[in-house]
This record gives sequence, C-alpha cells and structure tokens, in this order.
Amino acid sequence: MVAIGTTIRDASADIELIGVTKTYDAKNVVIPPLSVALRPGEFTVILGPSGCGKSTLLQMIAGLERVSGGKILICDREVQDLEPKHRGCAMVFQNYALYPHMTVAENMAYSLKVAGIPKAERNERVAGVAKMLGLSDLLARKPAQLSGGQRQRVAIGRAIIREPGVLLFDEPLSNLDAQLRHDMRVELADLHRRIGATSVFVTHDQVEAMTLADRILILNKGRVEQFDTPKAIYHHPASVFVAKFIGAPPMNILQVTGDGSVLRLPDGQAVANYSGKGSFQLGIRPEDISVNAGGSIKARIRYREDLGSHEILETEIGCQQLRIATPFGVEIDTTSVLSLTFPRGRLHLFDGETGRAIPEAFGTAATTQSMKEYQ
Amino acid sequence: MFSHRWLPLLLVAPLMLLVVLFFYIPVFQAFYWSFFLEQPFGGGSQFVGLENFKRVLSDPEFWMAGWRTIVFMLTASLLAVVVPLMLAIAADRRIALSFPARNILVWPKGVAGASIGVVFAFLFNPFVGLMAPFNTLFPGAWNPGIDGTDAFITLVAAHVWSGIPFNFVILLAGLRSIPHTLTQAAAIDGAGPWRRIFDVQLPLIMPQLFLTFVLEFTESITSVFALIDTITKGGPGGSTTLLVYKIYVDGFSGFDLSGASTQTAILMVFVLLLAACQFFYLGRRINYER
Amino acid sequence: MVEKARSINITATLLLIIGIVYIVGPLYLTLSTASQSYEYMLRNGLAWIPGGELFANMSKVIHETRIPIQMLNSMTVAFSNALATCALSFLSAYAIVYFRIRWAGIVFALILATIMLPLDIRVITTYQVASNIFSPLNAVLDFTGLNSLIADIFGTPVHLELSVLDTRFGLVAPLVAHGTGTFLFRQFFLTLPKDLFKAARMDGAGPIRFLIDILLPLSRTSVASLFVLTFLSGWTQYLWPLVGASTPDMQTAVVGLARLVPDADGQVPDFPMIMAGAVLVSLVPLAMIALLQRYLVQGLVLSEK
Repeated sequence: MVAIGTTIRDASADIELIGVTKTYDAKNVVIPPLSVALRPGEFTVILGPSGCGKSTLLQMIAGLERVSGGKILICDREVQDLEPKHRGCAMVFQNYALYPHMTVAENMAYSLKVAGIPKAERNERVAGVAKMLGLSDLLARKPAQLSGGQRQRVAIGRAIIREPGVLLFDEPLSNLDAQLRHDMRVELADLHRRIGATSVFVTHDQVEAMTLADRILILNKGRVEQFDTPKAIYHHPASVFVAKFIGAPPMNILQVTGDGSVLRLPDGQAVANYSGKGSFQLGIRPEDISVNAGGSIKARIRYREDLGSHEILETEIGCQQLRIATPFGVEIDTTSVLSLTFPRGRLHLFDGETGRAIPEAFGTAATTQSMKEYQ
Repeated sequence: MFSHRWLPLLLVAPLMLLVVLFFYIPVFQAFYWSFFLEQPFGGGSQFVGLENFKRVLSDPEFWMAGWRTIVFMLTASLLAVVVPLMLAIAADRRIALSFPARNILVWPKGVAGASIGVVFAFLFNPFVGLMAPFNTLFPGAWNPGIDGTDAFITLVAAHVWSGIPFNFVILLAGLRSIPHTLTQAAAIDGAGPWRRIFDVQLPLIMPQLFLTFVLEFTESITSVFALIDTITKGGPGGSTTLLVYKIYVDGFSGFDLSGASTQTAILMVFVLLLAACQFFYLGRRINYER
Repeated sequence: MVEKARSINITATLLLIIGIVYIVGPLYLTLSTASQSYEYMLRNGLAWIPGGELFANMSKVIHETRIPIQMLNSMTVAFSNALATCALSFLSAYAIVYFRIRWAGIVFALILATIMLPLDIRVITTYQVASNIFSPLNAVLDFTGLNSLIADIFGTPVHLELSVLDTRFGLVAPLVAHGTGTFLFRQFFLTLPKDLFKAARMDGAGPIRFLIDILLPLSRTSVASLFVLTFLSGWTQYLWPLVGASTPDMQTAVVGLARLVPDADGQVPDFPMIMAGAVLVSLVPLAMIALLQRYLVQGLVLSEK
C-alpha cells in the first residue's frame, strides 16, 4: 500500500471502475457489475432517478461504502480497500456537512490539521481558497451564521483546499433555491476550469448534468444506460430510458408496428418509412415536430400550455400522448385536428422490447464512438 | 389558538393546585421558618431574625456535612457522567455488543436507590461481601463500617450504578443525532475513529453533556439520601452524613424544625445558584445551532 | 465505511463488557445469594453460584414480612402517580400551548421550576404541609386578620385541619407536583404541525373535541413514555414514602425492604432473605423495563429536549 497522504499535488487522477458491484444480500442488488473509466481532469456527472445507485457509486469511490466486488483504480492504484483519507478524494456533501462547532476557517483547515500541516501554511492556504471563493470576510463565522450559498462555498472550499486529485460532489446544489443554484452552477464550472481536478458529480437534475458535464453517465437501477457527452446523449439517446430522462419536456415515445416498409401507429396511420418488421418504439422530441397544413400525420389537440417563449401542445394520436413544442404565435384552433410532419432526420427508433436504440435506422448515426469504447 | 375564558384555567388548575400546595408553600415555608424559632409539631413560633442562620453556620457539623456534600457531588456526578459517556461512545459503534448493551444499561432505572443500597451494603459487607476474601488476607483492609473512605467509595459506586441509565440514554441519543455525513466528512478529511471522538463527537454532544451535568449535580446531592439511609446511616462517625441526610435527622429525629428548615433554605439557595452559574457561564458558550 | 477500526472496536467491546458486568453483576449476585441458605452464606459469604433456596427465601419474605401488602401499596402509588401525572400534565400543557392566554408563560415557568428543587430537598416542610393541608389557608386567615373578625362574630377563629399523612393521596400528591410531564407534553405539542390545529378548527372542532379526537390519539406514545417513566419513579421513591407513611401497612415495598436490614450491628443479617426481598421488590419495575423499554428510552430522551 502506498500511503500518499491527503494531498495529491498538481495531479489530476483518472478513475477506473472494473466490475464494481454493491449488494446487501442476494435479493438486494444495488449495483450489478459495472465498469467505467473517467479521464484525468474530466468532469463526469452521474445522472439518474432516485434509488438508481448513483450516490452509492460515489460513496464507493470515496471509500464511505465498501465495494461488494470489483476494483476501483485511482491513478492506476487499487484503492477499493483503502480508507477514505488514503484515496486522495475530497467530497462536497448534499447538506454541506460543515462542522457546526468550528469557524469557517477551522472547517476548511481541518483536513490540513489532521494531516499535520503547520499552522502557518494552513492559514496561508485557507486565505488563498477563501479569496478564490469570496469567503475572506466570513472566516471567523460559524456555519450557523451563514446563508445557504455561503455554506455551499465553504463546503467547496473545504474540499479543494487539499488540492485533491479527485473531487466528488453528492447532489451539492439540491438544497439551494433556483436562482442560487444557477449561480453556483456557473461558479462550479468556472472553478473546475481553474483547478482541473477530476470531478464526479452526482445529481438527478438533468439541467445540472447538461451544463456541467464533460460526459454524463446515466444510471438506471445500477446499470449504465449511456455514458457520453451531453450533446451525444441529447441527440442520440441509447435507449428509451435515456430519451425520456433527458430533455424538457421529454421525448415522445410512440408504439409503432413495422410491416416491412412502413411504421404504423395502432390506429393505422403511417408515420415513417422503415424496412423492419415487428413492434418498435418511435421517438421524436416535441421541438422537432413541425405543424403544417401539408402534414400527413393527424393528431387531435387536447389542450395547450402557453409558456411565453413557446407553446406546448398536448395532443392525442391514436390513443397515444404526443407533446409538441411550437414557436409562439402559431394560430391553432383548439378544437381542430392538427396536421404534422415528423422530419425523418429527427426520428429515433428503439427496439419494442429492450428499449435499446436501433442505430442508423433512418440513416443517421445513433451511437457514438465512445459508446462502444466504454460499454 | 383557542380563545376561552375559563376553560384553560380549569385545565391547569389541578396541577397548579398541587404544585402550589406541595412545592411553592413548602419552599416558601423553609425560608419563612429559617427566621422563626418553631416549636416542634405545633405550638407557637417566635421571630428570631438571623439567629437560626447564626446557629447553623457556627455549627462545625453543618460545615462538615456541607463539605462532604460538595466532595460527593463533584466525585459522584463526574463519574456518573463520564462512565455513561464512555459507554455511550462505545455503544454508538457498530459492534456486536452494542445492541445488548443498549438494553442492559437501562435496567438500573427499575431498581430503587434504596434497593440497590441494600444490595451494595451486602456486596461491600466486610465479612460476607465481595471484599471478604481480601479481608482474610489483609485483616482490616476494607471495612466501610469503620473506615469513612470505604463507606464513601461504596456510596459513590452505588450512585454511579443508579445514574447510568438516564445519562447513558441521553448521551447516546446525542451521539446518534450527529448527522451521518458529518462523520463521513471527517473521515474524508482524514480523521480516524479515535480522533473523531474528540474533534467531532464530543464537541457536538456538548449540549447533552452540559444537561447531564446540570441535572446530575442536583440529583447526586438529593437522591443520595436513599443510599446513605440503607448503606451507611451517615456513619461511620458521621463521615457519610451529607446535608440531605443531616436535614432529615435533625428534622425527624432531633425535632429541630427551625434548624432543619434553615439548612434546607441554605441547600436550596446552593442548588439554585449552582444551576444558575452553569446556565450563565457554561450554557452560553456551548449552545449553537446544528 | 472502509476503515480500520480494530483498536477502537476492541476497546469499545471491552468497555461494554465492563459496563454490563458492573450493571448485571450486583443483580446476579443478589439473585444467586437469594437462592442460598443463611447457613451457606455464613460459611461462604456471598454466593457466586445459584442454589435451590430461592423459593424458600421468597416464601419467608412473603409470609414473615409485610412486603406483599407493601408491594400492593407500591403498585397503587406508582400507578396513581403515573396516571395522575399523565392526566394533569397533559391538560396543563394543552392549556399552555393551545389557548390564547396571557399568563401561559408564567404558569409554564412556575410549573417548570419544580424540576430545580426535588422533593428530597424540601421534605421537612412538605411533611409539615401534608400533616395539615389547610395550614396555608389558616395562615392566610390569620395573617389577613380575617380570623380575628371571624372570632369576633362566631366566638372562635377558623382552624381547619386535615392531614394527608398515612393516606394514599398523601403518598402520591407531592410526587405529582412536578414539571417534567408538562414540559414533555409541551415540547411534543410544539412539534406537531400548526396546520393540524387550523384544519381541525375549519372542520368545526372545539377545544374539547380537538383534545379528544386529535391531540390524544397523536400523543399516544408520548403518554405511554411518560407513564412508564413516572410509574418507575413512583415505585422507586424512598424518602417521601418513608416519612409520609408511618405504619408498615401503608409503607411502600422499597421502604419495607430497607427496614428488613436490622439496625443493630453484631449478628450477620439474614442476607439471603433480604436479597430475596430485593428480587421481589425489583421484579415489577424490571419486568416493565423489559417489556416497555422503547417507551422508557423515548421518555428519557423526550424529558430532556
């Protein structure tokens, strides 16, 4: 075992999970064997619904949870049996986990104090981090005297003061109000650019994931659904689960049947040409549907939501729900039947049973290089 | 909130009646009588000003009893907090014994002070108790019936035994209310389990620790009566006559009501001052929001 | 957590073993001695191993002492103490929290102050009050001069006398005059959502209905906790029952047990019988702890918050 202390200076670690599992008992499998690799300096967001195992995964990297099997490598070093302090990770917690009996300065300096770093150097580093985060005037306060956003900054400062190779974030923005969350997001992105530590950020908020991540790892019931850049995930979702999870409002998924040349809705309407046979799921984003008099697809409008910048139309098409986002100002009669066009290049086709994407169904590349590489 | 003229009055009346009758009047009477010379159980009374206080304060027995009370209070309550504290920290860990321990350590709550006094009097009996074999080897090494220190130790041991449940439960509840993530954060910051005791756990249960001390100070000098009466009867040679016991003996055996009331008044002022000091000096510094 | 905690876990285990031995040891030795004969004890001192005389010793206690009737007294005192404390504290806390009254704060402070000066400290004067609960009234009449007025008119001044010593009421009432229960319920009521009260009022519930239909069902566990706590406290009282009851048939079991130990020095007392008495006396509260531990622990924690 190589004891490297609590700081890894100037190093940005790569993290590799090899067949990592977490089970509580035979029936209670939180994470089936999972393998991913995170590149040095990369900002990875683990995204998934609550209970998908994303926090467990993060805690296993941190050493707060034991792995039930598999290996965790940080900088090519096996760390799964090392104590948290020997892994070179720092963490920002959801509820900040600041020590209520210590001042801001003491909170930030605590890890350095434990590591036996002399007081003078501690003070110097606290001052540096405080300046970077705009906390210089608050150093003598206790956490109870701070606002939510200030506590959040202290929690980040406490993590980065050690200059860790790996920064872990466990839903750190979920306790903030909407405005503050936006500001902190911008700040975090900026901070990551400056310090460049490999970062893993757990959230259930797709906006945070899309704006912060270099790559997003989408987790569903402990399994990786897709691991790719935000753009790729948005444009080429690897499964129905991902398609529905990303985008607001989410992608429409229609049950269709292929007869060898055309995909049809249950009511018989043809929606696209495709050579496959059997049942499929057809996906199209609300903003990709165009409403025009010449459209061949008919949908009955149920109600409309005016969002100012655009409108969301809730329609029904062959007993299935279809959401359409239209530019504001398009005159539509609520009682009428809409004529729609599904642009062929914007359609996504998924397997009827497994829900996995069928690549290049309509002539576009639905999977990316990185998918093959990391799955 | 409800607005009602007489219903709330009616609701608090029964308890307030009892509190006034059996708390405020006795407390008032103790102070009142300390300025009067009272004939025992009826008869007249005569205002004597500070005579009673002069008499009590010039009595060396009173000072001895007071001194012993303070010594007992400091040693017994310190042990009665520190022992449960260590047990609570141990039982807070995830180890096999922590579950049975959490159950067993509250049992003394069901055993009266006087009952455990009777038991300890037997266990520490020099002839048939635990120390009997030791005494045959070194005659006279242990005899609470003759040696005041031995008697004192027996009292402290019995008091700590009785005091474990309350303090253990309160301190354990305090430890368990420490947010899990705070422990995790400290672990990531590099603090091991030993260090976390001093840097995280103890500072965070200060409110509970403070409370147990405040209550234990009063508790140790009042509930000790049952132990004294069953173990030592104040002996040997008055070496375990604490103030509560002296007041009882003076009042119920010596029929010196004025003297007993005066001492009661002094003890009450002492207890109240003690609590006030603790609240103003200690309480202010360690109360913080979580 | 991935952590090497061997040293601390071993230390913790050792500590807990010592703690358990410290608690259980005296109880075990009580039981084992209670199951040996007087002669065995004279020969060997305290008994490390149980013998077969437990029931003989217990029957000696039951037949030769007043412990059985005293246990009934203890039962009555403990039960009435628990019941009265729960009921009166609940009502007063209800008035303090849910009524718009200006004096709520003062009343609460007055009740809470009782915690600072336990009964054992003020036993002398409490005894005086109990020996004639009208003495404060008499004093007021004397002091205000009303009595001389009455004496002028009716020939004699009013002097009422009613002693509650040697009565069950007298044994229980001073124990009930305590603030813990009110404090516990007040804290509990304050944790209940305020909208609950508003909703009940919108539904048309008045003070009594709200108390019975909403508050009481919600407070079930708090009531149970306080009940267990005050039952145990009533059972284990010593000083007050010692002075409050002067005849053996009115005294409680704990007092009776202490009286089993002869005052005079000299002969070694019949410890096996006394220990059998101690076992009997502690049986009810210990059984209660075993069965209702959850409520006891909760009560202890609640009474602190």
